[in-house]
Amino acid sequence: MAHKVKGYHALTSIKRERVLPVTGNVLVRRMQKVSPTDVIVVAPMAPEYLLLDIAQGLNVTPTRADELLQRAAGDSLVKGDIIAGPVGLFQRVIRAPENGSIKIAGEGKVLFEITSAAYELQAGMEGTVTNVIPERGAIIETRGALVQGVWGNGKITYGVIQPVSNDLLQELVPEQLNISFRGTIITAGFIRNPETLEVAGNIPVKGMILGSISSALIPAAKKADFPIMIVDGFGTAPMNRAAERILIANKDKNVALNAQPYDPFQGKFPEVIITQSTTKELQGPPETEALKTGKQVIILNGPLASRIGKIESILSQKKILPNGISALVAELSLSSEEIIEVPLTNLEIIKTTDS
Amino acid sequence: MDTTTVAAKSVIAVDIGNTLTRSLLFDVVSGRYRFIAVGTAATTAGSPQFDVSAGIWQSLEELQYITGRTLLSEKDGVIIPSTQDNQGVDIMVATMSAGNPISVVTVGLLKNASLKHARHLAQTSYTKISAEISLNDNRTATERINMLTKIRPDLIIIAGGTNNGATQSLLSILESIGLSSFMMDESQRPSILFTGNEELQEEAKEGLEKITKLRIVPNLQPVLGQESIFPAQKEMNEIYQDIRKKQTGGLREVISWTDGNFTSTASALGRVIRFLSQKYEPEKGVMGVDIGSDATILAAAFHGKETLRVYPNLGVGSGAAGVLERTSLEDIKRWLPVKITDNVIRNYIYNKSIYPSSLPTEEDHLEIELALAKQALRLAVKDIIPSLEKQLDSSGTLLPPLEPIIGSGRVLTNAPKRYQSLSVLLDGLQPTGVTTLALDQNGLLPGLGAVAEDNPLLTVQVIESSTFLNLGTVIAPIGITRPGTTILRIRILREDGRTVTREVKYGSLSILPVEMGEKVSLHLRPLHRFDVGMGGPGKAGKVNAVGGALGIIIDARGRPLQFYQDEEKNRKRNEIWKKTYLKYS
Repeated sequence: MAHKVKGYHALTSIKRERVLPVTGNVLVRRMQKVSPTDVIVVAPMAPEYLLLDIAQGLNVTPTRADELLQRAAGDSLVKGDIIAGPVGLFQRVIRAPENGSIKIAGEGKVLFEITSAAYELQAGMEGTVTNVIPERGAIIETRGALVQGVWGNGKITYGVIQPVSNDLLQELVPEQLNISFRGTIITAGFIRNPETLEVAGNIPVKGMILGSISSALIPAAKKADFPIMIVDGFGTAPMNRAAERILIANKDKNVALNAQPYDPFQGKFPEVIITQSTTKELQGPPETEALKTGKQVIILNGPLASRIGKIESILSQKKILPNGISALVAELSLSSEEIIEVPLTNLEIIKTTDS
Repeated sequence: MDTTTVAAKSVIAVDIGNTLTRSLLFDVVSGRYRFIAVGTAATTAGSPQFDVSAGIWQSLEELQYITGRTLLSEKDGVIIPSTQDNQGVDIMVATMSAGNPISVVTVGLLKNASLKHARHLAQTSYTKISAEISLNDNRTATERINMLTKIRPDLIIIAGGTNNGATQSLLSILESIGLSSFMMDESQRPSILFTGNEELQEEAKEGLEKITKLRIVPNLQPVLGQESIFPAQKEMNEIYQDIRKKQTGGLREVISWTDGNFTSTASALGRVIRFLSQKYEPEKGVMGVDIGSDATILAAAFHGKETLRVYPNLGVGSGAAGVLERTSLEDIKRWLPVKITDNVIRNYIYNKSIYPSSLPTEEDHLEIELALAKQALRLAVKDIIPSLEKQLDSSGTLLPPLEPIIGSGRVLTNAPKRYQSLSVLLDGLQPTGVTTLALDQNGLLPGLGAVAEDNPLLTVQVIESSTFLNLGTVIAPIGITRPGTTILRIRILREDGRTVTREVKYGSLSILPVEMGEKVSLHLRPLHRFDVGMGGPGKAGKVNAVGGALGIIIDARGRPLQFYQDEEKNRKRNEIWKKTYLKYS
């Protein structure tokens, strides 16, 4: 059976679609090099509409109101411009309430769109535009390191990555945070103290990449002003060694952190992309592989969550777990040379070499 | 009817769940349809494959391996129809629940009338109600337009107005819907299901048909206080299929294998429960329960009249965090027989949401999953009771008599002990009177529902082949008195003529050790005007019962089950109940 391969790669080819859900103006062209902060598409993200009852405003019938219209659908107007009228003794008119345009007009009514500030979608990563999606965005490709997570607070940034300690196994506590982390994307093992988030926000850090976080801190993490990405899960598990190795090796480098919420049905993962200059021919990361003896795997949950091991064997018959559940299991050797049995459902494959 | 008298056809029923894809094989054995085997694989609707056919293919490969029957050909895919040398199958049907819930805006005139019916209609499928529009919300037309263009729903359900009733208010809402839909990109315009005042059907057609995909069905509320959901529910299922076809890679190919016999898992479950309600005890209803990874589904039917509810984001896998978000940690902890810290419980639930396929490896973690399943079921059943065809009491808090209740879902079928599956159903649903709790061990219900329309004989014969595991007959008296008071006398007459008498005290949970399949006659004499479903409070009567995996369970804990304020007292009580079960497991 094909098994999911975790998204930790020291060097791979990365291709991302950056599009808006509405139509807009694409500002980039094919083969253009972009940096994370470059705007690739602009659009009125959430236009505000006003339904103007012209007939009522002019105190006439809808048919008469249509005759009194001075502007048509598609016309742009400045605040105060006359839309309809004048009519009657007092020469009543209907004026544009804001700068905007008429979208629909008829039957005594006008649907007016207020000009709103354009939403600018940034590239979010360094790379080359390999394809333009008309009116929506672009596909950007790069080569570099990739670490995907399982939870993100929906924010995005670009900056220098700074591990808080030499390994990412420990809890990040408020005392470890100081002004030297200002403006950096910090990475650490896990957090469980709400004060840590508060102190990080006060410094302020630019982003945070953690192995795990206590689920009690989810509401505070969602409210944080900076992006937070969780690599392994919830609780007090340290960062897994494969992701740790990549993040530590890229200390002081610029990384693109996109802490978008995890949505497997849309293929959205929170992720860190670290562009590398290389001439190596690279393929995209493998997404599934067969689970078999010799594969490196990560344990997804339980007391050994985020530990990495090697499959020594996969038992052909189901085994009864200590809690009585019957499951197909693999025998794993951990770095401590300890052999443990883990259900296949609780494993994902890790590729430690360059893809 | 014997299957030899009709053209026997082998069937594969595929169910594409949020986590797992299962392929069930049915064929004729000794002249009758039987369930043969199931192949299972991970669902591939989402990342990284984005192609449901890959998961189906893998599950069929497993099915091939288990049965030794060739079902697939590299060149043609699934071999349909079967060949003379017994390769392939004759019919394939598919059901699906995978995917994010469909975003729906419900529209009605009044919150407690048409809007309520529109909400019920939305709940017959995998939907998330993103917003509601009614006259009660006091929104202006401009506010409605802005709200709709921001939400960009997949579907708008318009109910409102009885036939020959008010038209102006609904027309004004229709105008907002038309204008907002027009302002969206054509590819993003919502489907619209109009099920309001039938006098407005022409206006709806005129105003909306040229803008977006409009479906018109008879009024959901033809007269005040009456809900006529069935025609709209059928259409709702069609819309679900259309939306999923657009969203899900590989689904069109799968539907071509099934010759169009594709439906939502919930709809298929509803169909088979409706079917069973016509087969079993006519005076009682039948209920089907599916506790899935993301959603919990309840389907109940009385005399062929079905009530179906889908509760997305209320499951024990990807929907686990949804249970916690809709209730409190304390409500989940009330079901635990062991002490576990809040952080461990919460972390486990959130981890389960991100790794929905993972299995609990610790004893405590299994207890958390069972508690989560009970709470998900509790939330769902409380919501569905007021909509059931039969009501037990005016408060709408107790389940009316049902026979049987059939549970499915991995949390029930994977539970190592049968009492664990039974206790999830018993505590979560809290049935009343005398009922049988059964387990759909192989997850056949949706497949049988999908087949039922074209091949009802298969559905009947597979159900008759003891396909469901009888967990136990439950006797649950209703009434209130002091704990420890005798509320029921039971005389059990066994087939060999032996008689046993038991007194049941209020607040207790006890088990009559009746062997699996053993038939007994129970004489129930309630005291203190307790009601055991024999025709009213205090009424005695005889009932024939069959022993299940746990014999016969007498649940005199009261309805609805009451909890202590002190969580340690609840835990200890759960521990006692667990020990009671373990004595007979």
